[in-house]
Formats: sequence, structure tokens, C-alpha cells
Amino acid sequence: MVYITSWDEFVERSVQLFRADPDSTRYVMKYRHCDGKLVLKVTDNKECLKFKTDQAQDAKKMEKLNNIFFTLMSRGPDADVSEVTGKEQTEAQPGKKGRGRKQ
Amino acid sequence: MVLLQLDPFLNELTSMFEHSTEKGSVWVTLKRSSLKSKVQRNKMGTVGEPLEYRCLVRATDGKKTISTSVGAKDHQRFQASYATILKAHMAALKKRERKDKKKAALAHKQEGGSKKSKKA
Repeated sequence: MVYITSWDEFVERSVQLFRADPDSTRYVMKYRHCDGKLVLKVTDNKECLKFKTDQAQDAKKMEKLNNIFFTLMSRGPDADVSEVTGKEQTEAQPGKKGRGRKQ
Repeated sequence: MVLLQLDPFLNELTSMFEHSTEKGSVWVTLKRSSLKSKVQRNKMGTVGEPLEYRCLVRATDGKKTISTSVGAKDHQRFQASYATILKAHMAALKKRERKDKKKAALAHKQEGGSKKSKKA
């Protein structure tokens, strides 16, 4: 087992792994505060993908991956994750601005 | 292992993070699960009942394990609170040291700009 160094590769392969076997794939996050290390793991008990980091910016990326997995696992492996990015999309509701001013 | 409601789970998770700052790690596992035993699953399969899947979330600090299950309805709310907790407690990760580079780039730009203005 080797750590994957590219984040994008890790995301792509872990989602693939989950879709191939949704019943036995799990996603584990390990955080060690004293060493400032974060390890992400996705495995289906046959294949194991790991990603290790000590950078705060990767924690932000992880938020998106968390979101992807929450969506896939609660809504089912066929759920569309293209729109799930971790940003609050509810804020961007199309404008009701200036409604009263038209007349 | 205790199966908790969403909010108590998040509270417990917060305290796990707080108790592991000096030593130890926290693990959080996400897994798709129907929360049924194999026997129940097989029974439902033969009857033809569709299985309802939820996202099982487990957390441990090596001593204690807690868990909760997130359905399709509340996964967005849970995800938001979970992300907030992570952000608040992952303070030991390194920030990118970009400031110096940015400053250098800025100074460089200004130099270039002043040269241009002299020419004009």
C-alpha cells in the first residue's frame, strides 16, 4: 500500500472504488493533533487508497470529499455529485432583489 | 458502541477532538449501511422488500466509540455542522507560507510599474 500523492487522483479513485462496491467500501479520516497530521483512507477490504497531509489547505479539499461521500452514502451510489462541492449553495438563491421598486 | 442522534454525536465528537490535543488521534469512518443484520437483509431480499440505506458515521479516539446514522434528509445539515467542527479543531495543520512570496511578487510588480511610468 502506498500513499497517493495527487489529491485529484485520490478523489477520483476513491469514488470509483465506492461505486464499484458500495456495500463494503468505507471512508476513514484520521486526525492527529499533536503531530498535525491528517490521513484519509478509502478501502473495500481488497484495495486500499490512502492520502496523507499536514497542510491546512488539504483540509478544505477534504470537506468537499466528505460532502461527496455523505451524498453518495445517504442518497445511494448513483447520486449526482457534480453539484456537491462543499460550498453553501443555498445562499445563492436567485435574486428577489429590487422587487418592490419596479413600480 | 452507542448509536447516537445527530446532535449528541456532534457534541461527543467535539469533546473527543478536545481531549486528544496533547496525544492520541481521532478516527471518523463513513460507511453506507442498511443498519440491518445479514439475516434480516437476506430475508428482505427474498421477500423483495427494498433496503433503505443510510450513511453510518462512526468516531473513535481509541478508547471510546460513538456512532450515528445520517439519512438523505439531514445529510446536508449534518455535513455543515461536521465541517464546522473539523475546521475548528484541525488547527495543527500547517498554513501555506505564501505571504512572503506574495509580498515579493507585489514588490516586483511595483518596481516594474514604476519603470513603466518613468518611460511614459
